[in-house]
Amino acid sequence: MRKVLLLVVLFVLLTSASVMAQADITIEFYFPTAVDAPINEIIQRYADQFHELNPNITVVPTYTGSYTQTRDTIRTELNGGGAGPDVAVMLTTDLYSFIDEGSIVPMQSYIDTLEDPEAFVSDIFPAFLANSMDEEGTIWSLPFQRSTVILYYNADLLREAGIENPPTNRDELLAAAQALTLPNGERWGLLVPFAGGFPIWVFQPFAIGNGRNITGETPTTVYMNDPQVIDALDFATNLGTEYAVGPAGGSVWGDTPTAFLNGQAAMIIHTTGTMTNLLNNATFEVGAAFVPMGLPNDEGLGYGTVTGGGNTYIFNPPGAERSPEELEAAWLWAEFLASPEIQSDWGAATGYIAARASAWELDPLASLAAERPQYLAARDQLAYAAAEFTSYRAIDTQNIINATLSGVISGAETDAAAAMASAQEQIDALLAEYR
Amino acid sequence: MDGIARAEVTSRTAVNKRKPLFSLLLPYLLIAPTMILVFIFTVYPSINSVVDSLYDPARNARDPSEFVGLQNYADLFDPDHYIGSAFVQIIGQTLIFAVATVVISVPLALLFALLLNRKVPLQGVWRFSLFYPSLLPLIGAASIWAFLFSDTVGLINTVLRSFGGRGVNWLGDPGFVLWAVIAVNVWKQAGYYMIFYLAGLQNIPRDFYEAASLDGANSWQQFRFLTLPLLRRTTLFILVVAFTFAFQTVEQLQVLGMGGPGDRSNLLLYYIFQTIPERRNWGYVNAMTVVLVLILLVFTVSNFVLFERGREDE
Amino acid sequence: MNNSRRAEIGITLLTSVLGLLWLLPLVFAVLMSLRPQAEGLTVGSVFFASRITFDNYAAALSVAPWAWHAITSVIFVFGTLAVQLVTVTMAGYAFARMKFFGRGALLFIMLLQIMIPTAVLLVQNFATIRELGLFDTRWALMLPYWASAFGVLLLRQTFREVPRELEEAARIDGANLLQILFRVYIPLSVPAYVAFALVSISSHWNEFMWPFIVTRSEEVRPLTVGLNKLYSTTEVGALYGQLLAGTVIVIAPLVIMFMLFQRRFIQSFASSGIK
Repeated sequence: MRKVLLLVVLFVLLTSASVMAQADITIEFYFPTAVDAPINEIIQRYADQFHELNPNITVVPTYTGSYTQTRDTIRTELNGGGAGPDVAVMLTTDLYSFIDEGSIVPMQSYIDTLEDPEAFVSDIFPAFLANSMDEEGTIWSLPFQRSTVILYYNADLLREAGIENPPTNRDELLAAAQALTLPNGERWGLLVPFAGGFPIWVFQPFAIGNGRNITGETPTTVYMNDPQVIDALDFATNLGTEYAVGPAGGSVWGDTPTAFLNGQAAMIIHTTGTMTNLLNNATFEVGAAFVPMGLPNDEGLGYGTVTGGGNTYIFNPPGAERSPEELEAAWLWAEFLASPEIQSDWGAATGYIAARASAWELDPLASLAAERPQYLAARDQLAYAAAEFTSYRAIDTQNIINATLSGVISGAETDAAAAMASAQEQIDALLAEYR
Repeated sequence: MDGIARAEVTSRTAVNKRKPLFSLLLPYLLIAPTMILVFIFTVYPSINSVVDSLYDPARNARDPSEFVGLQNYADLFDPDHYIGSAFVQIIGQTLIFAVATVVISVPLALLFALLLNRKVPLQGVWRFSLFYPSLLPLIGAASIWAFLFSDTVGLINTVLRSFGGRGVNWLGDPGFVLWAVIAVNVWKQAGYYMIFYLAGLQNIPRDFYEAASLDGANSWQQFRFLTLPLLRRTTLFILVVAFTFAFQTVEQLQVLGMGGPGDRSNLLLYYIFQTIPERRNWGYVNAMTVVLVLILLVFTVSNFVLFERGREDE
Repeated sequence: MNNSRRAEIGITLLTSVLGLLWLLPLVFAVLMSLRPQAEGLTVGSVFFASRITFDNYAAALSVAPWAWHAITSVIFVFGTLAVQLVTVTMAGYAFARMKFFGRGALLFIMLLQIMIPTAVLLVQNFATIRELGLFDTRWALMLPYWASAFGVLLLRQTFREVPRELEEAARIDGANLLQILFRVYIPLSVPAYVAFALVSISSHWNEFMWPFIVTRSEEVRPLTVGLNKLYSTTEVGALYGQLLAGTVIVIAPLVIMFMLFQRRFIQSFASSGIK
């Protein structure tokens, strides 16, 4: 009798366990689009590949607009009592606000269960991990579609002007820009897209090259009122005023690549994300070089740039109570998207910088990079790349910084030092309770 | 006039006498569908907004918000506070924006309506060209203008440069941005308000004009003493709507300068939009909304007072 | 005679200048959409680039399931308008011609709908839609718009211009409320209805934020959400050609509709106006 009972119990347990394992899990995946590749189709293809590898997991991709629209959609869902997506691609800089309210799960807890966590982590470029970790080094999000600021130059024009190599520091850059500028706005030497309300990202390389990133070692330190940063800001402003190698106030972000393609700018500062666009459409030789916004160091170099772009996050907000199996499935999807194979394919299709060193040895990216070495410049510049600005209350601190920087650069604020000091005060007051 | 009014009163009392319960309820039944939806989607959340404007969200989303009274409002007007440092300036810009948009686009709308009410060559084309901007999605309209205003590859500057000019950094120069946004708004809204003037003109009986002509009134006098006064209610309606819309401009700004540089083209609702994504600004967001609605109320009420004063309102 | 002739010429001139000025952005939007992506405007090639291309249209068409978006937009716009016409007429009449307790206060409350920016109420209204079980459906798009304070205000103002004697006469003939509305008020307010329909159609056709927040599936999302994809190519820069091609695609149905019906609806405004 007992044996029979035991057998029955065992049988029930076994079947239910196998049923559990077979139970279909659906992963809601929110993604933004920021490039003009057929993103929907590509993501759907990845979802199908993933489903083949994991037949019990179905990924449902949903397009959620731009980065900010994706973040705001998720926030609306969470604030409106919803559970949010299982996985989403968002800006890396959104990290602390989601940590703060406890709605995301650290990737670290899954990385630690891997066979060789160290190998996994060390294959990712350190510059791309900077914004994926909190101050204690716990990895919360995985790099997916990453980019950096880079310098593009019209190699034909530079050659005409007798400039053999792209500039390596800000003195050389300025000299080249001045030599290449034609009067009346017919051609600018250097366009920096400061105009509009979001100059923070393109400004960061100026500060980093000058030796001081505005984002600090912890999410509560911000360096605005710092002599090196203010000096970088003066240089940025003067490009449009005193040196007049670009329009006062800077160019508009979206128009800058087109102006470059048109021959209206000899050099531009922009994102690696537009490289495919430039290489496909230019009627001249496009050069890509490290951003040289710093004063020359001992080796004569003034390089420095900033990373950007989106990471994958796993959501489990209070109230959603996702099961361990669901979270595990979410991790598998995020890990899949960060795998060398996908990163290689994604990088080649979109122009984002593949975040894994091993991805660059795989086709299609390997052959693309061999054909177009400009992509390698984007990768190798990572050695000089630093973290994108983030902090607690990042939306508010970014708003303050953007208003301050664009105010100074456009000439609306005439006293840079005072504006930066006032911004610093506001930010310090805001972050005081987090220290 | 008097006779009609009296007849109305008597007939109404006659109706009143045999008013059953149903006719007492009838008006409420008629407005019920509208009012129920307004309550669900506007009034109920608005009340929550007012209440939430008195609270400060806790750092941890799971902790209850703290009651702070009017502190959120005080912070808005504190120039040293991050939320207040630009707030007063932004309100000023919003008022400039609203007044400029309305003062330019409403008379233009009336002019359009009067012009299109006559026979002119190519009438169909001009009707279309004055009206189509209001058919455009805001993002589409703003994108067209972003392209027109672009410093390097834009139409306006390219044309200016063709004539040897230098061009203006429309969206990067703090002196121009707000006016660029106003220009887009006028372009987009004038045709929209024109529609209501066209509808309003229809309600003016033609014999009024015939009588006026017989009395020897010229076109200007007819316009000044006949058309304009008779379009009073239409104008009131348009003013209320135009002011309200002017305060609700968000999407254009996203494309045209994002409120920059240095908040010089920022407007109240866009500022709210910029601060909304941070959960802990919820108190400020609601306080700013209350301020915005108060400003609109002042405008709306003063419009009603100005335009309906001395008019019999049944 | 001479004077009025001169006035005639002046008016024609003024209309043409304003009309051309207003038309220019559209003309250049279309020209731009036919330009190769690589060739921006330059001095000397303002109108046309080296060639005319439809690549931008092909690219714009490939980014979204436009057919689904179009179906949704049509359902959203006309489903909203159909119900609005009923609710707006009912409430417009009540506020214009009936006396009842709390009329002023209720009118004022209704006006809040125009005054309060919907962006601020987004989170709470999203929650309401979720609780009603309408999230990610076309019903969610339409429901809040079935009440239009704007329309009620417009019709209230129009109905108030209708001479009362006409209503009284109909009443004496034994007409009930429905008959009075259909025989007296609605026929006399056709221009207002046309204006309202135009405004309602164009504003919902162009509505972005609300549909974006309450839907996720591509099948129940309207055209503006598709257009948004073209707008957010921030990593590349502004691809004006594609963006304007997309804009042309989205507004084309409205423009065609306007052109087909323009004579009829302008007639309803202009036939008996100032002559």
